Amino acid sequence: MNCKDFESMVHEMVSGRAADKTKQLEALEHAGQCLWCALRFDEETRLTENLQALAKALHVQRAPARVEEALVEAFRERTRRANRPLFGFAGKRLWHRLSWGLAFAAIVAVTVIIVLGNRKTGAPLLQHRQPDSGAQAAAKGPAETASLDEWANEGTTDFIPLGTCDDSECLDDAVLVHVALPAEALLDFGLPINNDWVAGESVEAEVVIGGEGVPSAIRFVD
Amino acid sequence: MAELIELRDEQLLKMMRDGDEDAFATLYRRRQGGIYRFVLEMSGSTALAEDVTQEVFMALIRESRGYDPSRGSLAAYLLGMARHHAVRLLKRDRTYVSIAEGTRDGENALPFSSEDPQWAMSRQQSIEAVQQAILSLPEHYREAVVLCDLNEMSYEDTASVLGCSVGTVRSRLHRGRALLLQKLAGGKKAEAGRKAIDPSGCLA
Repeated sequence: MNCKDFESMVHEMVSGRAADKTKQLEALEHAGQCLWCALRFDEETRLTENLQALAKALHVQRAPARVEEALVEAFRERTRRANRPLFGFAGKRLWHRLSWGLAFAAIVAVTVIIVLGNRKTGAPLLQHRQPDSGAQAAAKGPAETASLDEWANEGTTDFIPLGTCDDSECLDDAVLVHVALPAEALLDFGLPINNDWVAGESVEAEVVIGGEGVPSAIRFVD
Repeated sequence: MAELIELRDEQLLKMMRDGDEDAFATLYRRRQGGIYRFVLEMSGSTALAEDVTQEVFMALIRESRGYDPSRGSLAAYLLGMARHHAVRLLKRDRTYVSIAEGTRDGENALPFSSEDPQWAMSRQQSIEAVQQAILSLPEHYREAVVLCDLNEMSYEDTASVLGCSVGTVRSRLHRGRALLLQKLAGGKKAEAGRKAIDPSGCLA
């Protein structure tokens, strides 16, 4: 053992981290013969004692009780929100149906944004149907008039709450989105479906989406 | 609650994920002290230590699935988060209270025995000198000294917290302690004194 070897392991030796007992004995033997290494050993021992004293003095330090109170309250709130049913009665099945409906709604929303953007620039891409007056409707051909009548008489169900909103805050910044759902979604809400319904056919609905992005109510459009 | 104390951190975390408030409280009480002290030792600021402790556990509440057991213990994971938050906050505002400033109004005064006031006072002063010296270390060395020497963490756990190799931890600790000795002995003057007794021939 020389001074360089001693130096490389002295702090581990005094901190009790040196694993090799043989090397430790060699190092102590070396310190017995080398003044500089003996001083280094004393120096490191004193430093370790001071560090241990500091650690002991700081050991009583804890975060104040108010931190625990705030965290437990936050945990409670988080758990309460997590346990809140996403849909009060329709269950997860409806969520799956709504998810692709919402995807469709997103496409509609993007389209609307594009259209509105183009309106501002004065270059409309899409022509929108506007409710005509009786005279204008009468002036149109039979097929087109029937279509307008259908649009004018468009019926809807009442809004059906989804059980995700128990205070008015969740309706802050709410938006209404138009979605398409599989017709069987009507059954989830106890609504009848037509006998001539074909599997895969969709129905239209409007969903109220709260500010946090959670659907809170739905109504079906006839 | 008594049985919860016997459970491992990972078991408490799992229960916490399932909404068990007592499991969360047990985990918090077990680990908050280490996190609080780590930040206090790193920054010298009780306010910062309090903020970081709160942020770490808030993050655990929000993202309890972010912990990967294969990458180390939960304690190391939480200390890693504390380190991240502390470094960010320290960089954001460098106006944290030093121990010297804190002790002026008694904020960070260390507790000491009153058996022998003179001895206790002298002890208190040397402890504070060590604490000041630690606070003046460059961050990398300070982290190694705080985790290994003050918190008695293994090299492996320290490496996990710092995101470096065990070899790096060893060399940082070695260098950090050498700097501490220099600072405690009065810097360059002491270093010159040490060189005077350095038997350089012996290093060959």
